[in-house]
Amino acid sequence: VAMATPTDMNDKLSQSIKEAEEVCVADNGSGECAAAWDEVEEISAEIAHKRVKQSETKDPLEEFCKDAPEADECRVYED
Amino acid sequence: MAAAVKLTSSSVASSPTMQPLYLRTGFHGSSLPSSSFSATPASTDSGCGKSTFMRRLTSVFGGAASPPKGGNPDSNTLISDTTTVICLDDYHSLDRTGRKQKGVTALDPRANNFDLMYEQVKAIKEGKSIEKPIYNHVTGLLDPPETIQPPKIFVIEGLHPMFDARVRELLDFSIYLDISDEVKFAWKIQRDMAERGHSLESIKASISARKPDFDAYIDPQKQHADVVIQVLPTELIPDDNEGKILRVRMIMKDGVPNFNPVYLFDEGSTISWIPCGRKLTCSYPGIKFSYGPDVYYDNEVSVVEMDGQFDRLDELIYVESHLSNISTRFYGEITQQMLKHADFPGSNNGTGFFQTMVGLKIREVYEKLRAKDSPALASAARA
Repeated sequence: VAMATPTDMNDKLSQSIKEAEEVCVADNGSGECAAAWDEVEEISAEIAHKRVKQSETKDPLEEFCKDAPEADECRVYED
Repeated sequence: MAAAVKLTSSSVASSPTMQPLYLRTGFHGSSLPSSSFSATPASTDSGCGKSTFMRRLTSVFGGAASPPKGGNPDSNTLISDTTTVICLDDYHSLDRTGRKQKGVTALDPRANNFDLMYEQVKAIKEGKSIEKPIYNHVTGLLDPPETIQPPKIFVIEGLHPMFDARVRELLDFSIYLDISDEVKFAWKIQRDMAERGHSLESIKASISARKPDFDAYIDPQKQHADVVIQVLPTELIPDDNEGKILRVRMIMKDGVPNFNPVYLFDEGSTISWIPCGRKLTCSYPGIKFSYGPDVYYDNEVSVVEMDGQFDRLDELIYVESHLSNISTRFYGEITQQMLKHADFPGSNNGTGFFQTMVGLKIREVYEKLRAKDSPALASAARA
């Protein structure tokens, strides 16, 4: 299964915003209109989650040590 | 910007040096029924499994929370040594397309399967594992189920944890996170404005289109919560609409079994306290605490309020030492918990402070329930 990339999600977002605006032109109190904006909210929230996850500053040494715990600069002895 | 990330939160730092600081409650084997439950509607939106609140909660119990290993990468579940947090979006009966066709939002009870929610929460409480569906927030589809083992503490988080009376009955403790419209709006602007396609108009439209369902189905749940954390705009700065400085209120129901509300200085009095002065320097706009009894949805409650934000740690320990009934195991435990997650959004204001306090309260409820259970379990084993 291919993971969705933020750009995919971004395209989906702008598309669903456009759709919501169109649906709501006819009747902005309808269930269809609310459901369309609800989809926008769900996608925006997911993009925000993904963005936070990606922007987490990863310590380069920590990353390196995950793969090479035996390296001199990575070894940690509990006692 | 603290408030902006509050909605989205960051995942827990998996520092290899992080040690559980508390006695593990090793009494319950995983085969025994879990004795504590709690619930939080992510009243803003499904920050399921990703919310800072949940990470603060699980941290109080020791150990970092992480998604189930090797399963669906889009699983919403978080598992730590003692605690499993599930996202109630997983009980959607309609997927994204289905909701659109029927013209219902995710907030609508018709989009959710409360029968399955009840059955599975009940099964977990009885110590049975469940096969819980996964609602995939990326695709908007219902994915094949994942197996959830009964934990010591089971947390259900989402929009409707207290909607169904049968599910409500199963909960040992419940929390509602109540974000005011002004703050919600400010946070969403900070979160979404940068996204392509989003504008001030679309953010406004999205909030107002969902508001009728929110007011009808989500908001009324707060009357059932044992603790409501209310997030409001500050009153220290006139006409502030940035949503950076917050006034946070912790509304605690009186008379809840195993739960004693926190108080400031003198239980039952009405107090307003500005901790800045000779002993404490605060920068603009300072910090203001209030405490007092109140009535909330016909229930007697105690309210502790904090307006403003901390600049430095010494302010926090100073404040902590003036609060009572905080259920800490040692002096300074709240401050230490907050320090552990200094990078989490909300660490410098009332949101992080009260969320941590609620975490300690849940630990206490859990321990009291466990103590009550143990004689029964011991005699059952003998029989």
